[in-house]
Amino acid sequence: MTASSTASRTLPILDAHGAVDHAAGAERFTADVDRTTWHDGALWFVREKRDRGAASVPEWERLRDLASAIKSHTLSRLDEYLERFERRATARGIQVHWARDGAEHNEIVLGILAARGARRLVKSKSMLTEECGLNAHLERHGIEVVDTDLGERIVQLRNEPPSHIVMPAIHLKKEEIGATFHEKLGTPAGLADPDALTAAARRHLRERFLGADAAMTGVNFAIAETGGVVVITNEGNADLGTALAPVYIASMGIEKLIPRAADLGVFLRLLARSATGQASSVYASHVHGPRPGQAMHVVLVDNGRSTQLGRGDFWGSLKCIRCAACLNTCPVYRRSGGYSYGSTIPGPIGSVLTPGLDVRKYAALPFASTLCGSCSAVCPVKVDLDQQLYRWRQLVMAAGGAPPLKRWWLRAMGGVLADPALLQLAGRVARGMLRVLPPRLARRLAGGWGTGRALPEPPRGSFRDWVRANRPGRS
Amino acid sequence: MSAREEILRAVRAARVATFGNAAPALPSLPTVGEWPGGADGAQATRSALVDRFMVSAQGAAARVVRTTRAGVAQLAASVADSLRVDGDGARDPVVLSMVDAVHGNMAVPDDPHELATLDLFVCEGEIGVAESSAIWLPTSRLGQRAALLLATEVIVVLESAAIVADLHAAYAAVDVGRESFGLFLAGPSKTADIEQSLVIGAHGAKGLTVALIDG
Amino acid sequence: MRAALFAPCFVDQLAPGVAIAAVQLLERLGVEVALPGGAACCGQPPANAGDARSGDAALRLLVETFAPFTHTIVLSGSCTTHVRQHAAQVARLGGPVAQRTYEFCEFLHDVIGLDRLRALAASDTRCVAVHIGCHALRGLQLATPSERMLPAMDKVRAVLGTVRGLSFAPLQRPDECCGFGGSFSVGEPAVSARMGRDRLDDIGASGADAVVSTDVSCMLHLSAIGRAAGRTLPMLHVAQLLATASGIGGA
Repeated sequence: MTASSTASRTLPILDAHGAVDHAAGAERFTADVDRTTWHDGALWFVREKRDRGAASVPEWERLRDLASAIKSHTLSRLDEYLERFERRATARGIQVHWARDGAEHNEIVLGILAARGARRLVKSKSMLTEECGLNAHLERHGIEVVDTDLGERIVQLRNEPPSHIVMPAIHLKKEEIGATFHEKLGTPAGLADPDALTAAARRHLRERFLGADAAMTGVNFAIAETGGVVVITNEGNADLGTALAPVYIASMGIEKLIPRAADLGVFLRLLARSATGQASSVYASHVHGPRPGQAMHVVLVDNGRSTQLGRGDFWGSLKCIRCAACLNTCPVYRRSGGYSYGSTIPGPIGSVLTPGLDVRKYAALPFASTLCGSCSAVCPVKVDLDQQLYRWRQLVMAAGGAPPLKRWWLRAMGGVLADPALLQLAGRVARGMLRVLPPRLARRLAGGWGTGRALPEPPRGSFRDWVRANRPGRS
Repeated sequence: MSAREEILRAVRAARVATFGNAAPALPSLPTVGEWPGGADGAQATRSALVDRFMVSAQGAAARVVRTTRAGVAQLAASVADSLRVDGDGARDPVVLSMVDAVHGNMAVPDDPHELATLDLFVCEGEIGVAESSAIWLPTSRLGQRAALLLATEVIVVLESAAIVADLHAAYAAVDVGRESFGLFLAGPSKTADIEQSLVIGAHGAKGLTVALIDG
Repeated sequence: MRAALFAPCFVDQLAPGVAIAAVQLLERLGVEVALPGGAACCGQPPANAGDARSGDAALRLLVETFAPFTHTIVLSGSCTTHVRQHAAQVARLGGPVAQRTYEFCEFLHDVIGLDRLRALAASDTRCVAVHIGCHALRGLQLATPSERMLPAMDKVRAVLGTVRGLSFAPLQRPDECCGFGGSFSVGEPAVSARMGRDRLDDIGASGADAVVSTDVSCMLHLSAIGRAAGRTLPMLHVAQLLATASGIGGA
């Protein structure tokens, strides 16, 4: 895999105005038919594991109701819970920082590291640090950043962003990972056995853990009542980092708060099953202060979240616990890959979060869905994702996010659809054209609809024609 | 205005705009045994809970050995023996134990980095969860928590009487903020980041044995 | 009883046979079918494309057209969902009309009842793959979707189950979207077509003799993709299958 072909697959495709063209990215992805089949199958496999995990809990739907209600309540009092968390955490010897945006977050982290002279940082999975672009910032200042989640390490070695929020390297085949490890870690050429590759990564990362000056993690939940944070992994990488390094920094979006420790009973039962189908993740660590001699910091990051909270139609997206079940079930994500979204968080949840940051750049994302609703049905905290996608579409169009021609066409369509006589006429013309035009020309006139499809065989007359002839006076 | 003030002010304005003053109520949590169909609830017999724990542990790739307090030493010895390195660079397995029944050959170090060569770590769990085989381990039972991650094999001793039905019961039974650290551990370290193939032993322990004590 | 039938724009123009079958079947069931001429569309196409306002006039016309009727049967799960979710916002009578609106299978199941359907003595020995449109499935809850951990319920198969001899082909992914999605099929042609092919592959592997669907839009999409790939599996709306199996001709 050469660098240029990797880049051509991982960079989003932008249109002339710099907006993400999801359809073009998806076309690039689906062009490789076999890889699309494989990607779709790998994610569907996870979706099926989730189904079995959820089915093992008779009160599953009740848990979803509870989780949604707890999150809704917390968000409705978020400022109070943030202050409570800060007070309790501070009392436990945790230093709490506040960052308005990604740049401020990155400066805070750099400042903590610089004050300790830390040069080597090990980091467990955190979509927030991806969102903030932390790695590049720290590397510019001479800090070595090692992502320690296996999937994240793989994409980091390849200089790629994660393509999925729980399984960052889901887009890669084991042979590609083997080639990367051969090049970067010196494993034998052609080695593609997952056990052997994981063992190689384990040896490589052990050294980094033992040599780290500082450890960073994301945060799954922050408990207002106790002032602690909960970090969940299957690999144990977050704990290895924080158990060894003299400095620990946890970064979290402000929406990660929950009121009570006991609420975790609800969320943890849902989270692992929704993410991977497991009854429990391996390590669910509750950190309520530094180890003796360690310094512990928590950075609370806004970066657009308070704005989203104020959007009456979209605040519900902040309930998300990042299980990625909506990605795994989304028939569009499975067949277009994470990179087609051009957003740190892809898939349905990304498509309702990201337009809030830049509605023009991410105008295409709410349209990268059939509105089939599977995302909403699978979501453990009941985010009404398909409804939010629909509402974003309205806002995108109102903000001029569609090309003028499409807007004109939609208005004209609206006019025709509201005028039965005009619609009958248009239908008659279209049916007539379908009969007389050569199929190839008709397909071209049909635009995108003509791709991979044969146009319908037109019926002779419409239903209304039939009604007039066979059921007159039935209105 | 500081970042803190600005964020709190923005959050307050936003939540008032969205929710007004009619905030959705914080729901009360299920009480232990409320869902008898779920994890057998309060009605569950001790043996049903243990059975369920053992099935869950299998799903989490943990090994469960039913034994006695006295039997833990023998179990530890056999696990340690499996880690013995013979031939060139032969050495005895390095064992750190936090339980009385097992005598290790290493004490809890001040610097966790000294645990890099640890072969076997033995500790005792406080609460077990039947529905997931997760075991609550507070830091006082771990000494240095790095031992849990750096050891090749881990044995967790658990009284079968300490098994509760589900996480709701577990959170009702433990005070997670009592100590600076505690975790629910379910099985050995694992990953499926390469083509969804399950691999045991990603970063942490490659094997977890639960020594279940029937008191 | 009297009920009004609404054949949405694309059914009217591209699949009149479905609407004709529905009329004839309902008549056989003793329903006096009103066919008011006013509304032609519920406004969903522009609304789903992000321009609900351009669709509002159509939806208002629909509300006015069907306001006089106690039951309105809509020959599309997705149009029914749109009316249910949005009619109240665009017209004074929108709420009540939405409440009295039924998707075709829903009407047969909830209003007509399975006993009266059984009395049709319909018979068909084919093995069919059932494709419930996503909005009919999750928006109208015609069946329990595979994501939800709720008691199994399926009004579409219950209705089809009244046909003697009919069997259902099991699909690997029972409720995977076919990829139509209205404007999605135009704006995202690559994924849309790929989804359609995958759906057809699943159906093809199931050994089904035919596809039966609640939604003409899904059928048009799937059959267009099928024809491009040289596949010719018959595609029927539930109304067509029931009418044919009941010996009702002319459909």
